[in-house]
Amino acid sequence: MLRRARYEAAGRVVVPFLASLEAWQRRLRPRRAPRESPFGPPLESTRKLKELMTAHYYQGRYADGAVPVAWVTSGFPIEVLRPLGFHAVYPENHAALCGVRRIVPELSDAAEADGFSRDLCSYARTDLGCVATGRTPVGRLPRPDLLACCTNICQTVLYWYRALAARFGVPLVLVDTPYVYGEAKPHHAAYVRAQLEELVQIAERIAGRRVEPDALAEVTRRAKEGSVLWGECLATATSRPAPWTGFDGFFHIAPIVALRGTEACNAYYRQLRDELRERVRRGIGGLREERHRLLWDNLPIWFAVREVSTLLASRGFNFVCTSYTNAWAEAGSRVDPADPLGSAGAAYTHVILNQDLPHRLETLGRLARDYGVDGAVLHSDRSCKPYSIGQVDLKERLAADAGIRVLLLEADHNDPRAWASEQADGRLTAFMESFA
Amino acid sequence: MTRREHIEAQRERGRRSLAVLPVHYPKELLTALGVHAVELWGPPGAPRGDDAGRIQAYVCPVVRNALAFLASAAADAVDGVLFPHTCDSVQQLATLAPDFGGWSKPAFTFQHPRGSSRPSARAFLEAELRSLARDLEDFSGRRLDPERLAAAVALHDEIDRLRAALLDAGPRLAIPDAELYAILRRGEWLWPEEHLAELRAARAAVAAAPARAGIPVLVTGYVPEPMEFFDVLARAGAFVAGDDYAAVGRRVVRGGSAGATGWARLLARYASAPPCPTRVTDQPLRMRYLADLLERSGARGVIVHGVKFCEPELFDVPAIRATFGPRGIPVLQLESELESQLSAQAETRIEAFVEMLASGRAA
Repeated sequence: MLRRARYEAAGRVVVPFLASLEAWQRRLRPRRAPRESPFGPPLESTRKLKELMTAHYYQGRYADGAVPVAWVTSGFPIEVLRPLGFHAVYPENHAALCGVRRIVPELSDAAEADGFSRDLCSYARTDLGCVATGRTPVGRLPRPDLLACCTNICQTVLYWYRALAARFGVPLVLVDTPYVYGEAKPHHAAYVRAQLEELVQIAERIAGRRVEPDALAEVTRRAKEGSVLWGECLATATSRPAPWTGFDGFFHIAPIVALRGTEACNAYYRQLRDELRERVRRGIGGLREERHRLLWDNLPIWFAVREVSTLLASRGFNFVCTSYTNAWAEAGSRVDPADPLGSAGAAYTHVILNQDLPHRLETLGRLARDYGVDGAVLHSDRSCKPYSIGQVDLKERLAADAGIRVLLLEADHNDPRAWASEQADGRLTAFMESFA
Repeated sequence: MTRREHIEAQRERGRRSLAVLPVHYPKELLTALGVHAVELWGPPGAPRGDDAGRIQAYVCPVVRNALAFLASAAADAVDGVLFPHTCDSVQQLATLAPDFGGWSKPAFTFQHPRGSSRPSARAFLEAELRSLARDLEDFSGRRLDPERLAAAVALHDEIDRLRAALLDAGPRLAIPDAELYAILRRGEWLWPEEHLAELRAARAAVAAAPARAGIPVLVTGYVPEPMEFFDVLARAGAFVAGDDYAAVGRRVVRGGSAGATGWARLLARYASAPPCPTRVTDQPLRMRYLADLLERSGARGVIVHGVKFCEPELFDVPAIRATFGPRGIPVLQLESELESQLSAQAETRIEAFVEMLASGRAA
């Protein structure tokens, strides 16, 4: 009871209080002249984003023992767990945070000392390193009661979660989504549906209560709405100038990944969408001067987002859309609150990474058209084989189909040791000069 | 007889040939339908053509070489290709080659249920097998009747019985490992009945008493390439007593289908196959299997012989070390890039490892 009260207070009282305190301090601080920057004015919503994610992680410190805790892959059908009161931790999201804070090498060293190869996914190494050392930028991660893994983003996550299951000695539930070559076969859909039903039983046992159909439908409705709202935020960048940058989107994606299905997530995106629409109305861009519009494919390079975005912005290049952020907007179209499990099966099977390369090319081409881009950068990500294999062909085909310039940029989404800054700078500069 | 000659010989017998990517696939179905399987483990050595460059250098060489091979004229002898789901990289190859160029003949996929012990996974496996069977019926122009399926399953049971006997022979094997593996790996492309005949002949090489001396080791990994590995091991004074290669030992089913009939027998064979990370079978189960294999074979050390960038194998390495380390069993990790020959460094490491085992020192 006490733990539960502490958990609730952490999210509902402490974090809002700290946010108010910070706002008060901010008001007292003397205003500094804005620094020279190629970027437009910062988004007001960013403060709310920080508050929201801080609350999520702060509350998580007190979650174990108070509520059931699940560590969940980004593509997992979380709608099933929310009605049971699970606190969801997203190790990918947390690993990205470690990437931004540039602490991945030391965490990866710890994982490598345990025998995990440096050739494995850097998200996995980051997370396994966090678990081994207890080091995290969020203070503390709650111990899981359940590990929930969906293979729709890769098979790697299953190996990673198996290692976590061995470490924590807790159940691992799997939603295995057969890869979609062309069209999904009926027995593939039946398989995913059957697993979701198995998942409900296991989650109910761990939570000690039943999933109420109304609650499941409501969470599903909220998840669908969140996805739609996120899509509306992204769609504002079809305007010229785009009211934000695609790199902003990499950070503002956090709630739809980690808080999907909650009202807090949707409230946040309503605020963000309204702000972005207002910026469109007033002609405020993500860059002070947007000269060229680009598409980004694959995960961000978390530790170099600022470096890359500033280099490009200094010459008026803006990433107005990314296949990565778009993926969370597309999922909602298949979700149906009237059939939560069946529609979740279809929605989570048809994510971009679980579909074949013609689908990927079609998605990239559509984004290029809808957002009016004149170039694209395909991040060839050493740590993500399913996202990266095929990009050499995609580069040629996208350039020919959409009539745009395309660059293949080799890096890693989380490990700076696989990043050659000078080399990347040179490649990006040469790419930008080709637009002259 | 070369692979190409063998493919031609099968064609003359009215059998169509299918190139098959690693690792696990229902070969029994292919045999029952008269489809000749020719497995494509790379092939090793330098890529056969520029198409390997369509896949980044940080991807496993099996997949890069396979794309180059499929896209070159070298693969034209076969009539189609089967991509079993093995890993994210083979999965992507299965769309890259057929959809974006490199392969224009029929292409099939076979997806394993990951974590196969659940009821949903068993039902999915049967549905996926039946779906593949329908595709292959169209491909081969033959119907899958129960008698043919039963005969094919029985044939592969017998093949596995003999393969197991050879792999389990340890010191009683009277031929070098290099020769044994050459015979076993010919099963990757020989018509099963011809492979069976070779296995029966090789069975005579199992003596009643120890026929060779040396340090027994357990080898686990993806594919024994380069095959020179066995010569180096023998020169260093060791031999393979326990095999857990994905390409070899992990595909040997030991008595799994006895008592069952028809599709149930096929499913039983699949369920009884040794645990393999490419099917994402339970890791503790696999560690128990490896520990049993070590004990059964009398191996004194473990060699993890992997392929660079192979995630399924790499993720199990910490567990392998944790399984054998506390027992004082030394573990050597080798990584290959499908080179055509073993590097001098690898040779030195093998020699040092065997020397350490001979001296009785633990890692």
